[in-house]
Amino acid sequence: MRYLYWIPLLLALGSCSDDGEYIEVEQDERLTVTLPSNFPPMVYDVEENPPTKFGFALGKKLFYDGKLSANGFISCGFCHEQRFSFTHHGHQFSHGIDDLEGTRNTPSIANMAFFSEFAWDGATSHLDLFPIIPITNEVEMGETMTGVLQKLQLDETYQKEFNAAFEEGGVSHENFLKALAQFMVMMVSYNSKYDKYVRSEDGVSLTEQELQGLNIFQEKCASCHTTDLFSDGSFRNNGLAPNPSLNDIGRAEVSGSVNDNYKFKVPSLRNVALTAPYMHDGRFGSLESVLNFYRNGVQDSPTLDPLLKSENGLGIALTENEEQALIAFLGTLTDEQFINDERFAEY
Amino acid sequence: MFLFVFVVSCSSDDDGTMELTGTGMVKIEFDNSMAGDDLLLSTSSYTNSQSETLTVSRLNYIVSNFRLTDEDGNVFTYPKDSGYFITSEETGNTEVVLSDVPAGRYTSMTFGIGVDQEKYLQGAEGQGEFLTEAEETNMMWSWQAGYKFLNFEGTFTSATVTDATDFKIHMGSHGSSLNNYKETTLALGTEALVSDDLSPIIHLVVDASAILDGTNKISLTEQAVIMVSEEKSPKIAVNASNMFSVDHVHNGDGSSH
Repeated sequence: MRYLYWIPLLLALGSCSDDGEYIEVEQDERLTVTLPSNFPPMVYDVEENPPTKFGFALGKKLFYDGKLSANGFISCGFCHEQRFSFTHHGHQFSHGIDDLEGTRNTPSIANMAFFSEFAWDGATSHLDLFPIIPITNEVEMGETMTGVLQKLQLDETYQKEFNAAFEEGGVSHENFLKALAQFMVMMVSYNSKYDKYVRSEDGVSLTEQELQGLNIFQEKCASCHTTDLFSDGSFRNNGLAPNPSLNDIGRAEVSGSVNDNYKFKVPSLRNVALTAPYMHDGRFGSLESVLNFYRNGVQDSPTLDPLLKSENGLGIALTENEEQALIAFLGTLTDEQFINDERFAEY
Repeated sequence: MFLFVFVVSCSSDDDGTMELTGTGMVKIEFDNSMAGDDLLLSTSSYTNSQSETLTVSRLNYIVSNFRLTDEDGNVFTYPKDSGYFITSEETGNTEVVLSDVPAGRYTSMTFGIGVDQEKYLQGAEGQGEFLTEAEETNMMWSWQAGYKFLNFEGTFTSATVTDATDFKIHMGSHGSSLNNYKETTLALGTEALVSDDLSPIIHLVVDASAILDGTNKISLTEQAVIMVSEEKSPKIAVNASNMFSVDHVHNGDGSSH
């Protein structure tokens, strides 16, 4: 029985092609990683872990497999839903096993390969290692890395898939994390209306209101939401009043520095119209509420970002008309192609 | 000077001192102690200079990036890919074995406590099975997908804390914001001889009392659970890097101790 698994593997390696039988076997092949011309350079080193057809397929399977959690039901895709740009739409906090609830809102995982710090507080600085955090968090997936591996090692299909995807095969932590990373590295959202406009593709133009919004955005928002990733990846306190029942100190949990109190990573705004609720704790249900907060709700504290503090007061001055224009502009960042891309789809 | 060395080495040969060739193993024994006493987990108690009495239940730490320097200053760097080790008093795994060390007369040793950023930033490729080992020995800092460099736990009492109270010292780097990886260099005192026939054992005494009661004084009465502290974690890292000393070196075939 066992040798049967080896036949396709050996064929895939091309060493048994002359055995006289005409069996069509898929070859593994390297996938092309998208590097949009309007993006900054990719941070992730794809040469260390080049996405391949089999590696990507394995990563996708793992992403949607509840085996990665303690009770067998909570997959990565449970909280990261494609149609909401891989966020948990409608949920203020991420939900985990046994109906437990986290304390932070599920962030999008589009364009992760272009960033160097991950999670709201930058708890890890390598994309490969990120999955350890939700997998082992007791209110998210509640597993251990070793526990996940033991389950996968018992699964003969996974054994085959790991061996096919990696030269140094085997169901190991290294290959497990590499496969998940390959799946995430391929998730590039770059075909919104805005992208086509800035790349002068398909004759796409923005409406007058969207253009007005873009101008306001560049003037008042783009110092933090920089580049066409719409984030500089830094940690900032944007002046949210801390939720007293959580008192989440953000970046300071990682750095141990009071200077980082209440700082959170500047989120990308790609697909932002789809990713409500907003902020690290999902407190705002609409973009209107977010902008109203920047107009009227910013609270001073020792770590408030200096960009939100001027002689004219706290926050960002916006008229009602400007707010509507900004929301119209933010709508142009929705990438229908990305959220409907079958390569990333669960079913 | 060159002439002198030449003469000395000639006369050594004449005296029949063996020429060291090939490769051998170097074993490094981490003999954990508390201020001169043997460390007995959950058994003995130890009172330090801050009048805090500790009963230790766990002492695990990561040692890495071993480099051996010979009498001429030549440095042998152990391969980084296999250069990370977890020593654990509770599992009894307190020996590091460096294999395929080139023949030589080594006079000093340098190693790191913890995992350097370069290694961490290699991602999945760099961590390999070390990640599995770290999780199994309570050295994975899972909430930040990293490593505890030091896991030192137990209970303590002091003048004001009269009921035995848990203490937990977990020290590691703080994401990208604070690098707590430290290195230490130890003179071996005796040359450690390595060749095809010689595999020395370097016996280190590790004084775990230095973690809290070393160069920097850390009071458990003030704070008994220290995991991420911009102020205290780097002090603990310095203390931990100073807890190692060479007790003796056994030269021989590596089998007896």
